[in-house]
Amino acid sequence: MNNTERLLNFFGVTTEDLRKIIDKALSSGGTYADLFFEYTVANEMALRDGEVNSAGSHIDYGMGVRVLSNERTGYAYTEITSTDAMMRAALTASGIASGSIKSSTPVEIKNIPYKNRYPIEIEWLKATVSSKIPFLNYLNTRIFESDRRVNKVLARVSDSQTEVLFFNSLGEIYSDVRPMASLTATCIMEENGRVENASSSRSFRMGAEFLSMKVVEQVADEAVDRCKILFDAIQPKGGEMPVVMGAGSSGILLHEAIGHAFEADFNRQNISIFSDKLGKKICRDEISVVDDGTISFNRGSVNIDDEGVVGQKTYMVKDGVLNSYLHDRISAEYYKTSPTGNGRRESFRFMPLPRMRATYMESGKSRESDIIGSVKKGIYVDNFSNGQVQIGAGDFTFYVKSGWLIENGKLTQPIKDINIIGNGPEALANIVAVGDNLKIDDGTWTCGKEQYCPVSCGMPSVLVSSLTVGGI
Amino acid sequence: MNNDIESESVKAAQYAVERAIKSGCSAARSSLSISTQNSFAVRDGELDRLHGSTGSSLFIQVFINDRYGAYSTNRFDKRELESFISNAIEATKYIEKDICRGLPEKELCYRNDRPPLVQHDSRLFELSAEEMKNIAFTSADEILGSDKRLISVNCEFSGSLDFSYMTDSQGFEGASKQSLYSLSAECSVRGAGEARPEAWWYEASMFFEQLKRDGVAKMALKRATDKLSPKKMKSGRYTMVVENSVSNRLISPIISALNGASIQQNNSFLKNSLGKRLFSDKMIIFDDAINPSAMGARYFDSEGIATNPSSIIQNGRVEKYFINSYYSKKMGIPATIEGPSVPIMRPFDNIELTLKEIVYNCGNGILVTGFNGGNTNSSSGDFSFGIEGFYFENGEILHPVKEMNITGNLIELWNNLLYTGSDARDVSRWMIPSLAFEGVSFSGI
Repeated sequence: MNNTERLLNFFGVTTEDLRKIIDKALSSGGTYADLFFEYTVANEMALRDGEVNSAGSHIDYGMGVRVLSNERTGYAYTEITSTDAMMRAALTASGIASGSIKSSTPVEIKNIPYKNRYPIEIEWLKATVSSKIPFLNYLNTRIFESDRRVNKVLARVSDSQTEVLFFNSLGEIYSDVRPMASLTATCIMEENGRVENASSSRSFRMGAEFLSMKVVEQVADEAVDRCKILFDAIQPKGGEMPVVMGAGSSGILLHEAIGHAFEADFNRQNISIFSDKLGKKICRDEISVVDDGTISFNRGSVNIDDEGVVGQKTYMVKDGVLNSYLHDRISAEYYKTSPTGNGRRESFRFMPLPRMRATYMESGKSRESDIIGSVKKGIYVDNFSNGQVQIGAGDFTFYVKSGWLIENGKLTQPIKDINIIGNGPEALANIVAVGDNLKIDDGTWTCGKEQYCPVSCGMPSVLVSSLTVGGI
Repeated sequence: MNNDIESESVKAAQYAVERAIKSGCSAARSSLSISTQNSFAVRDGELDRLHGSTGSSLFIQVFINDRYGAYSTNRFDKRELESFISNAIEATKYIEKDICRGLPEKELCYRNDRPPLVQHDSRLFELSAEEMKNIAFTSADEILGSDKRLISVNCEFSGSLDFSYMTDSQGFEGASKQSLYSLSAECSVRGAGEARPEAWWYEASMFFEQLKRDGVAKMALKRATDKLSPKKMKSGRYTMVVENSVSNRLISPIISALNGASIQQNNSFLKNSLGKRLFSDKMIIFDDAINPSAMGARYFDSEGIATNPSSIIQNGRVEKYFINSYYSKKMGIPATIEGPSVPIMRPFDNIELTLKEIVYNCGNGILVTGFNGGNTNSSSGDFSFGIEGFYFENGEILHPVKEMNITGNLIELWNNLLYTGSDARDVSRWMIPSLAFEGVSFSGI
């Protein structure tokens, strides 16, 4: 029995049932419909005050019916996969259209082939609670032993396995098993009454083989290093200045400054600041920006997206030219192009939308030391907590947990707790140097566009000639 | 929602506790949530999205000889629940003992001795799809074709009914029903240049007939067009007025810092501050927890502890920490409540001020109408937020501002409170009015 057959059994449906539900969904004249079955088991375990003293497990089960009537969407879900419940959901979703049946499901059912980017070695279902505890204890010990100022450690390991079964009105069917694993630590230090905190995390689409002493050490050491530096850090004087964005998590710049504005739902509605720029030159030749669903084990990777389009690598910007928006089926139809595998959703409770996966800039030719050396007065930033963007105005922000002042080409004074604000098209055009050191950040990045989706980002070191830096 | 579903689900919640105790748990609590939602969204005069759903979840907390686990499922079948609870108990046995884990003292729990809170309007079941669509269409019609700068308008009507029920092994039982009806509008406009500023507005009410429907789209359009042609401003210290639609952003980090988890974990800039005057004596925050007309009013928290009206900050003095039973035992201090239900900010000396009056009184400064990103350092209270808004002189708005941040420390900011308005909106649980602060550090050009 293959995985698709196994999941048909698990959800208690046959392909004939799926056809009937699709037919009901299209009964008012919808142009396309899909069914998304999902079963997730998620576990977490937390360490606090030196003890692994809480555990949790969560089961989520259900299916969603989506009906498209050209660009319009009807959506309904049910947590019970009885035929009656699913037919009711289909009828609700069908209300987006008004008319009679225009299409029916093909007789032949086609499996959608794809390459598995996240094969599981050890299923989380087989990882016992007791097998995870030593990793949290080691994380705690390593952080406490790293610095005498450590006062508290909060650590958490979480894992999930999601099983997906999909069928659509084109007669296409697929199943997928999606693992996710995360380890996070927050370190709190105190010295002479001053308290600072910093966090670190790693997250991959992996099975229980994710947990290793190596990943624990990476998270522990990074949390400690990030916290230590804060005792010497200041909130700098604010204003417009050059900003060097260090390799790795600076990919948040791409996510906020341009990524969302490239999501094609905003562009087909003509409300993105990039709506008129497809095919146009928007930045220097050496800049290419990618949204990639194919990186093995990456948190943002998708074997196949949530509307049956195989995961792929999409050049958003190629050699300085706006090459492609990020499409779901609706926007691809609107632009008469192929969907890019960006149709994603938080769970069966949500309709899919164009969403980013792993968004990064390809390496350029400059050395980071030369980039820093070229700045007379500015800042270097490499540790962030969150960001936001206004799609139409193009104004984006991200919050800098820590970084450095640059004075006469040298990193001089640590800085912290400042917001940076800029305008997407202007910031992209103001990238005047691109480092040769692309790094993907493997933290627990989560995007919150209407629904939550795991993503990741990456960046080589770059110099943005001017951004507005918060300060006192 | 269907009463049969409710009663069957309540039985499942009760069974979960019984089963946990029979299986060896020393205590257990189960919390049930069922939510029904319908929404209709109209974009540019055409129906764009409809969404209909009923979702549920059962959250089960088990305590086994000082060991603790929290589990949830939306599978309520008796046999599946049995297996789920057995697995939960087995998993919890591996967790280290924590003597602070347990149910709250029974004496603190709500005893079902208050009149029912009327927060539920089941009209959603009677509304036809056509009626719901028409509310969204009518709102959009307010502005469609009215302004050539308008690129796109989205209007959405949404209705939801939430039922929750909680029971535990020491006999607590409580239920609540809340409904929410909302109408929102989001507009994008374009003037000169590439930018397409967007703005939104919304109204909400627990009761369908009380939902304000007029003027929502008009307000969204006005707020969007007001943002056209922003100007960059010089960095410096300005008087800052914060509009009531976004002022809760400056309160939420304070509420977080008063939480027991933050304090016990040494991660709060308000630790050791109980009873101390840290802020301006003009700062008054009250938890109007059981006001029946307030959205978010409730009689018990997620542990079943009874809520009561109480002062949070009085004339700048910190009067309340939010301590649940776990952190109460951890820190050896009395439990209060897990968090505020209806935090409201009251004007100093009961002086009533509108936003317009506050701006007039301040003379010159920047009116903040939106926050764009930013964060707060929970240990120090240092903050930095991106903002959008308007520069004003002599009490008159002159122009929108572009790409500015505010940066500082929350204790310092709240010591520089100038005015608290009397204009809190009643569309959400938190009722925070317009505010004004002097000497705020803005960074621009």
